[in-house]
Amino acid sequence: MSWVQAASLVQGPEEEGDVFDEEADESLLVQREWQSHMQRRVKVKLRGEGGGPLLYRVVSAGAGSCEKEGYRDGIDAGKAVTLQQGFNQGYKEGAEVIINYGQLRGTLSALLSWCHLHDDSSALVSKINNLLDAVGQCEEYVLRHLRSVTSQPHVVDLLDSLQDMDLSHVAPAEEKIDEAKDERFCENNAEFNKNCSKNLSQVDCSSLECCRAQEHERPENPSLTWILEQTASLVKQLGVSIDILQHLKQL
Amino acid sequence: MAGDQDMFDAVVMADERFHGEGYREGYEEGSSLGMIEGRRHGTLHGAKVGSEIGCYQGFAFAWRGLLHSCATERDSKKMKVLEALIGMIQKFPYDDPTYDKLHEDLDRIRGKFKQLCSLLNVQPDFKISAEGSGLSF
Repeated sequence: MSWVQAASLVQGPEEEGDVFDEEADESLLVQREWQSHMQRRVKVKLRGEGGGPLLYRVVSAGAGSCEKEGYRDGIDAGKAVTLQQGFNQGYKEGAEVIINYGQLRGTLSALLSWCHLHDDSSALVSKINNLLDAVGQCEEYVLRHLRSVTSQPHVVDLLDSLQDMDLSHVAPAEEKIDEAKDERFCENNAEFNKNCSKNLSQVDCSSLECCRAQEHERPENPSLTWILEQTASLVKQLGVSIDILQHLKQL
Repeated sequence: MAGDQDMFDAVVMADERFHGEGYREGYEEGSSLGMIEGRRHGTLHGAKVGSEIGCYQGFAFAWRGLLHSCATERDSKKMKVLEALIGMIQKFPYDDPTYDKLHEDLDRIRGKFKQLCSLLNVQPDFKISAEGSGLSF
């Protein structure tokens, strides 16, 4: 729209002169006020009647552009109010859900370092490494799922699902349990287990001979429960008391 | 000219009315967008902290159990540092992003963890960090 650019170019010099122009139209003042207020509007330059000074007239761009501008402003204002609120909520949920996986990872790392120091049995070391990778994948999956959730009820369902996996210390989630959501929670739980086990099976297929050597068979939905069981058996193999896993949950 | 004046008045009033309506709709939309966006970012940062803190905590608890099972005199210093680390973590509000000493306390916890690792003759890098175990942010 080249004529719009031409219009704004002419704007400057015209404004200076017109304030003191006795012949100027009163409506020019109204227009100037209008312009400063409506800079994003379409401006059409029209030649005044009888060869008078050039007038700017705002073409009634109609409700469309007014609404859009108001809408944009409204969006910005609304966002500013809830951004921090949403952040705080998400932060709390993310931390509470992931901390259990972190604890599991830390525990496995401790066992790994114990192995290195006392018993350099490579079979156990590689098994622990595989479990660590599995936990990492679970953690990643959970995080991705959490972040893709757009409405609060689903997050609650996820927390319920996780609680069902016998994770301790999810006390806050207990307060959120809503009986009306039981059906959905069961579905989410199954889906979560299925997806997590899918990830795990990828890990398992790669050099887990030491695992297969054990008569212990992987249950239908391994996920976190399976990792915990494997960790427990590992501890027994190391000849260490199972009490060291007390902090994790009810095994 | 009076005609022009009326025209401007009409447009001004129409503008305010439509601006207001658009604003209200936009505000509602923006509010929910802000919640979603804020929550998405918050989840990421909260999980980062939770993962790290949980890792130190699990590591410390496990080692406390391991040391208990075969305690020697040399281990008293290790136990002291262990208990100090566990205590620091217990006190740390890991789920509160508005905690004013968040970074300060987090750094102290990291320092204590490194001290513990050196006492235990353990390399702190392997598998402790999120990246090491396949997690990437």
